Order: sequence, then C-alpha cells, then structure tokens
Amino acid sequence: MTRGEHLRNLALLVVCALVLALLPRGLSLYYRSFLMFTMMYVVLALSWNIISGFTGYTSFGHVAFYGIGAYACAILVADHRWHWLPTLAVGAGIAALVGVALGYPVLRLKGPYFAIAMLGAAEGTRVIATVWDGLTHGGLGISLPSAETSVETYYAMLVLMVVTIAVAYAVGHSRFGVRLNAIREDETAAAALGIDTTVYKLAAFVLSAIFPAVAGGIQTYKVLYIDPPSVFFVQITIAMALMSMLGGKGTVIGPIVGALVLYTAQELTWVNFPTAHLIAYGLFIVLVARFMPRGLVGLAIDQGWIRKGMLH
Amino acid sequence: MRDLRKTFGGVRAVDGCSFSVPAGKISGLIGPNGSGKTTTFDLLTGLTRPDGGRVLYRGNDLAGLKPHQIFRKGITRTFQITRIFREMTVLENMLSVTGLGVPDHVARERAHELIAFVNLTHLRAEYGGRLSYGQQKLLEFARALMTDPDLILLDEPAAGVNRTLLQHLLAQIHRLQESGKTVLIVEHDMNVIMNHCERIFVLDYGVKIAEGPPAEIRHDERVLDAYFGRRRR
Repeated sequence: MTRGEHLRNLALLVVCALVLALLPRGLSLYYRSFLMFTMMYVVLALSWNIISGFTGYTSFGHVAFYGIGAYACAILVADHRWHWLPTLAVGAGIAALVGVALGYPVLRLKGPYFAIAMLGAAEGTRVIATVWDGLTHGGLGISLPSAETSVETYYAMLVLMVVTIAVAYAVGHSRFGVRLNAIREDETAAAALGIDTTVYKLAAFVLSAIFPAVAGGIQTYKVLYIDPPSVFFVQITIAMALMSMLGGKGTVIGPIVGALVLYTAQELTWVNFPTAHLIAYGLFIVLVARFMPRGLVGLAIDQGWIRKGMLH
Repeated sequence: MRDLRKTFGGVRAVDGCSFSVPAGKISGLIGPNGSGKTTTFDLLTGLTRPDGGRVLYRGNDLAGLKPHQIFRKGITRTFQITRIFREMTVLENMLSVTGLGVPDHVARERAHELIAFVNLTHLRAEYGGRLSYGQQKLLEFARALMTDPDLILLDEPAAGVNRTLLQHLLAQIHRLQESGKTVLIVEHDMNVIMNHCERIFVLDYGVKIAEGPPAEIRHDERVLDAYFGRRRR
C-alpha cells in the first residue's frame, strides 16, 4: 500500500473520530449508549482478530481479559477509592501478565485444542471471580458509587477505539503482521524461515488481551455494577468471533464492518424478538461459516473490489 | 554432520550417518524412498531434534537448536511438498522472512528482485495458493534466498516442475553456486543429480552407503543394489 493510501485511511479515521466526538451532546441517552456499545464491539472484534484472524489461533475465551479489566476497575474504584481512569491501565497490565502466563503454555496447542483450552481458561477466571470472596465479593458482585458517567465513558471508549484501530492497522500492514499470517498459514515453514514463533505468538496474544481489558474497565464504570456472570459472559467471546468472521477475519476493516453490522442487527431485533435473536445468531454462525468463510471482505476481494493481501 | 541418529518408534530413520558437504559446491543427496533423505534435512534445519550425533557448521554444533536459530546461521531450505503460505500474496510470502535486519524498503527491493529472478513478477499480488505447483516451487526457492543464505538445502526441486521451468531453476542454482553459495539437493531425477552435482551422497536405510563424484556413483555396486536389488552374478 502506498503512502498516499495510508494517509487517506488516517484522514478517514480522524474524520470519523471527530464526528463521533461531536455527536453525544445532541443525542439521547439511548443512542449514546448504543454508539458506545458499538465502539466497544469494534474494539473487542479487532482485538480478537489479532490473535485469531492474523495469527490463526482461534480463541473462545477472550472474554477472560474483558472480565479482568472489569474487575480491576470495580475493585479499585469501589474498595480502594481510586479515580477510574488509572484503573484502566492496571487492568491492561494485569491482562498482559495473564496473557503471558496463560499464552506461554496454551499457545503450544493448535486448532481446536487451543480453542477449547481458552474456553476453559475463561471459565476458570469466572470461577475464580466467584469464589475469591475477599477480593471480588464473589457472587454478590460489586456496586460502584453511583454517578452520571455516560459522557466520560463515551469519550474514553472513543479514544480506546481509535487507538485499537490504529494499532490493528499498523500491525496488519507491517512485516510483523505478515509474519503472524505466516504462522497462521504454516507454522513449521514460518519457523524454518527464521520466525521465532513462540515470541511472535505471545506478542500477538498479549496485544489482543490488552484492549478488551480496557474496554471492560470502561464499560464497568458506565454500568456501575458487575458480577461474575455478567462480565465473564461467553456470548461476548462469541460476538467477537462472529463479528470478525462476518466482516472478514485476518483483515483490519473486516472486524470493524462486522461489529457495526452485527451489533446494529442485534439491537434492532432483540427488542421485538427477545429469544429469537439468539436462534438467529446461531443460524448466522452456520451460514457465514458455510457460505462466506472469508467474510464480507473476502467476498469483496473475490469480486475484485479490494486488492489481495495487506502489503503491496 | 557426524554420526547423526534419529529414531521414530522402532524405525531408525537416520542411523549413525556422517558426511561433509563441500563448501561452495553443489552436492546431491540420493537414496531410495524412505532412506532418510528428508529426515536428514529436518535434522539439519532443526525441524526434528536428533537423538544423537552432531551437526557441525563452521565449527558450531547446530544439533538441538530451534529452526529459527539455525536459519539465522545462514541455512535455508525448501520442502519436498511446497510449503508456501497459500492465503498470502507472493510479495507477502517473500516479506514474511525474518532476520534480514534491514529497513522495510530494502526488504521490499530485495523481494521484488528475487520475484523477478524466478519470473513471477506478473503474479506478485496473487495468492500463493493460486499459483501452479511449479510456480509454487519457484516461489519457495526465491523465498529461501531472501536472507542471502550461505547453505541452501533443496528438497526435490525438480518434482512437478516442467522442463522449461526446471532448466531455468537449474540455471539459477548454478548462478548461486558461482556466487559462492553451498547447495545440497535431494532429488529423484537422476539427470538433475548426475549432471549438476559435483559430489553425491547415497543413503539407504538411514546409513550412508556411498559417496563420490557422479561418475563413480553411477557404477557403484552398493548403489545399484540399493536401487535395483541385488543382481545375480
């Protein structure tokens, strides 16, 4: 990709960010909240995509990092009277450490074994949050001091989304990103071409753990109450995966498009069909995997609308 | 390599094998199917760990090192069945190689040169998986040259490549040798081996049974026995 195209994409991101920054003043609480959720899912899908799309290690447990960030914020704000913003950094730091400790053994597993191990790890974090009463207040959950937080958290989520997009874009269009792709395509060949696969996979995993943790912290400060089932909610992981798959995993624009489309669709349907939308979700997974395995972006590439590959 | 050994289950795939690849020359490694040629390559490049023995390269023992560490010592390889990255473009395949220690634009320049070197320029934005098998072999060959390695191991470069492409590939291999590189080729195509290698090593059941220039190997009794079975005298 040429420098001109990078500049154009940067300009596009800046314009979108400015529009989103000006919006909340004139919006009702409902729409502000809708936009904030959408931005959060963009962050989550893009993060999941770094390890699962770029690197090919499909994670079914990424909600663990979201939950860790949520608990870091809740505990520090409610029990230790911290200001909420620095708790986001703490959550990100803990998620990174857990990412290294968990990733080192688990990233030796491949394909379905990795996916299942991550599912188990996420369950593990949920159980820990439930039984570690002294720290997390267990199943009672944690209530934060009530306040009107919807505007500040909106801006925090906006900043997080812009940073996440910028990082995902930089990774996707670098030789680092291409090496992650190489690991996805053929790990043995990648190693034979000098790629230290352990280090690269771990870097991708940690990178994909940080942003969901920050998102979890921001979301916690918005809703002001969390308990284990609400933040270690398996459907959040499924949403990350499905949004990336629908848009086109392994690309930068794919997870963004997927998050916009799917979250909007979900919001439109659940009001009228509170349970049916979950069935539709399941059906959707099957249809996307069967007929559009490379997502909307893959479709656009096959049609010749978008060039193949990330480096040109 | 000295006294190299590798056992899979009860099968002694490489069984106390020793030979020295002459620097700056093209050598061949031959033997019947299952004689341990590819396993030898895997041992040399760290894809499998040897059970015993040493791999000496410029005075260092490489046995037990990880693949990426061996690669950074200047040894690259291609695979018997190509292992190009299928859902990455030709250019991306080239740029995935590490250890260049050069800025982005230099790496790109080198990638474009090598893509041209194997006549794939018109396909540089195409997915690796969309290339013909012969073109994939060429891509893999070019990719192995990204870091300007000193020792190049080629596992059946001729298999599945048409005659015209093969002549081109062989010419490139000779150009590498002329620029001071060492090449070791595993190949079943005897024309390639006999006409292009200066020294040949013959394996059978994981043991080296002969070594020498093509003219000698051609008439070596043990080699003929290994390939055609014991003849009646």
